[in-house]
Amino acid sequence: MKRKPMRMTQILVGLVAAIVAVTLAVWVTLYLHQYRAAAIQNAGTSSAQAVSQVAGTVGNYMEELGETIDLVVDQVQGKEEDQAEFFSAFLRIRPAVIAVTRYDEQGNLVDCRALNHTPRKEILQNLSFDLEKARNASGRVVTAPHVETIFQGYYPWVVTIIDRVTTPEGSGWVALDLSFSGIADTINNVGIGRRGYCFLLDDSGSIVYHPQQQLLYAGLKSEDTARLGTLADGIHNDGTVIYCLQTVPNSNWRVVGVSFVDELVNTSFRQMIRTAVGIAAVVLAAALVAGWVLSGLLTRPLRRLEGAMEQFEQDAAHFTYQPVDGPREVRELSDSFGHMVIRIQQLMGKVREEEINLRKTELKALQAQINPHFLYNTLDSIAWMCERGRNADAVQMVHALARLFRISISKGHELIPVAREIEHATSYLQIQKYRYKNQFTYHFDVDPACNEYLCNKITLQPIIENAITHGLDLLVEEGHIEVKVRQDGGDIVFEVSDNGVGMEPEQVEAMMRREPSDRTGIGIKNVNDRLRIYFGEQYGLTIHSVPDEGTTVIIRMPKIKEGEYEETR
Amino acid sequence: MRRRADLAALGAALAAALVLALAGCSSPAASPRRKVAVVAKSTSTEFWKAVFTGAEAAATEYNLELTITGPETEEDYETQNAMVAQAVADGAQALVFSAIDYEANAEAINAAARAGVYIVGIDSAVNSSLVRTYIGTNNYAAGCMAAQAALDGCEGTLRVGLVNYDRNSANGQAREQGARDTFAQSGRAEIVAGINTLSSAEESCADTAAMLAMHPEIDVLLAFNEPISVGAARAVKQAGKEGDIYCVAFDSNVETVDGLQTGEVDALIVQNTYAMGYLGVESAYKLLTGHGDTLEQTVDTTTRIINRENMFTMDGQKALFPFE
Repeated sequence: MKRKPMRMTQILVGLVAAIVAVTLAVWVTLYLHQYRAAAIQNAGTSSAQAVSQVAGTVGNYMEELGETIDLVVDQVQGKEEDQAEFFSAFLRIRPAVIAVTRYDEQGNLVDCRALNHTPRKEILQNLSFDLEKARNASGRVVTAPHVETIFQGYYPWVVTIIDRVTTPEGSGWVALDLSFSGIADTINNVGIGRRGYCFLLDDSGSIVYHPQQQLLYAGLKSEDTARLGTLADGIHNDGTVIYCLQTVPNSNWRVVGVSFVDELVNTSFRQMIRTAVGIAAVVLAAALVAGWVLSGLLTRPLRRLEGAMEQFEQDAAHFTYQPVDGPREVRELSDSFGHMVIRIQQLMGKVREEEINLRKTELKALQAQINPHFLYNTLDSIAWMCERGRNADAVQMVHALARLFRISISKGHELIPVAREIEHATSYLQIQKYRYKNQFTYHFDVDPACNEYLCNKITLQPIIENAITHGLDLLVEEGHIEVKVRQDGGDIVFEVSDNGVGMEPEQVEAMMRREPSDRTGIGIKNVNDRLRIYFGEQYGLTIHSVPDEGTTVIIRMPKIKEGEYEETR
Repeated sequence: MRRRADLAALGAALAAALVLALAGCSSPAASPRRKVAVVAKSTSTEFWKAVFTGAEAAATEYNLELTITGPETEEDYETQNAMVAQAVADGAQALVFSAIDYEANAEAINAAARAGVYIVGIDSAVNSSLVRTYIGTNNYAAGCMAAQAALDGCEGTLRVGLVNYDRNSANGQAREQGARDTFAQSGRAEIVAGINTLSSAEESCADTAAMLAMHPEIDVLLAFNEPISVGAARAVKQAGKEGDIYCVAFDSNVETVDGLQTGEVDALIVQNTYAMGYLGVESAYKLLTGHGDTLEQTVDTTTRIINRENMFTMDGQKALFPFE
């Protein structure tokens, strides 16, 4: 099946929509790609900022640890008598210092300075000092965060720094416990996005401090510390998590920032996708409307033109063209079509006129013809009458023949009064009745009012001739021909009925189409054609025939009076 | 006709575009924060402070609006019921709840659940089938653990004294039952006395001292929650029986930790309180976001035995001394 070509609106709207859609898709894709890249970079940057902040704080803490131990070592190595006073002031000024403890060569606790706390008499385990480690260390030792275990009812988390001291009593170590809770607070409060966080890792890859320590400890959460330990400082994005690492200055600790791509990037990215798609949809809708309006502007006049052409196609003769308004091209097309319509209608009129004239000429030529057989037979009959001395009959025959010819000629007029046409038919019937030896009878029933109207000459004769030759000639019993003329509104109706053998519908059909042979003179078809040419399609001749019952031919023509019909000659 | 078809197609395209645009503009991110209420047994003990730390961590992580309430004493279930009703009235969408009284809290919880509030049980259960999930210590197992610690720590026949809190509290009863069953199975323990006291250090101290005075033969003492344990430790110290009595206490408190070093307390059963709070709120979040079907009926948080030997290991420190 052949596909129908698309309409202009479809093409135009489709094209606009396709172009806009492709453009938008490319734009949205590129834009979102850019946006995502920027968002990831932003996330990395903000992560790095947070981490750097924490690293700074922890660095300061380490620095404080170093400075404080310097101070303490200096003091401890100084004079004995100043110590108590110094430490009570020192501990008050620096509340982050939880305890300063001193140990002898064997690791025994020599003294402990702390604000408001005194160490237990029996210390179960002192996490602030490890003799083994202190002995093996080349310089200062900094411990991981641990609990201060030497006091009763007081267990703060601290980081301890241990340094060697030499006092008058002998050499040993001094340990300073610095509260870790400040750092813990800082780290706890650092957020990267909503869910991101920082934690501290040491150089061996174990966690020093984690804000979600409890979850790690309970096994509800884990950090991939093995992998993190191997990563270099900087930003590492594994697609779902952004890790940001930075080494704390002056220490072996590193700050790790953990942030979530899903939260920092994807949430806003999804929002952005929605917004972008929304904008794209609005633009697409606008483009569709624009395309539709535009195509309407172009195609509406074309469609009107198309409609006009269709109308013209269906009924060219009665079409009147209304010019179509629109863009210049369409208007030019419309004007051309208008001219064409007028030209075609002129040509059509001319062709029809020529055709009518041609037919009239033809018919006139036919009417002028005398059927030689008819003449010969009639003259033969007349001769035969004279021979037999039937002079009166012969005279009547000759008169009838003369009348026949006179009316046939009618001074060249095509239209003659109905009375004359009846006279012509009567003459013809008289002759034929002699010739057929009274095989049939005939009767005229004419409304006298019809006599004043005009009709085409030689209208009835071909019908009667046909009735005799095809209807009555073959009939065994006596035939009858009835001719009626009556008025029917604005028309005159002639009826020629016979009681002959009748015809099958096919025969009737054939008769209406058949051109006359030389034998049959004008012929039924020509009568019909002539009426139509003169008076129009609604006039003419109809045949009603029933086999073995007879045939009725009805002729309809308009009432025309003398001078009403302009002959086109 | 054709024109109408065109119009219909255009209309459909426009409608589709509009739907897309609307979908683009409507934003689920604009929805307000979900409200979760924690109703605890108390707000003053270290146990509960650690629970709240965990709950707050989860609330921060899941962007929830968290309210935390609890009565003054661990026997005041009426105030707890009022707090549950208040939380529902304040628009809480999920409730993380620890029941003081297994039976007396049930009606308030059922009423809240019928009002469309998701109920997550933590620490101590309540008699309601509408609790969607329970997160806490396997209390029976914890009781067994406590008894086993005593059995491992002492030789010969044990004469046991039990100090428990409110008889109506489900978790205390489960712990005691676990301990009793374990002692019975061992065949070398005799439960000399069992008392129920108010959940405060003072009351517990007085009642335990009375019990020790009445039953001087007691050489193993089990105390089943934090304030009770503190009181029991004090009573042991007052009696001067640090060396004679093997005391197994529950939860981590400065006093019991001190006692662990000086001998009043010999073992601590430490619950994972932080995890209870964290998982409780996390479960509430899952229920609120339609992932309730992934939740287990009960979630057992870990329990550890801390004694003199392991208390200052790194794990021991982390278990006993939460960062504040």
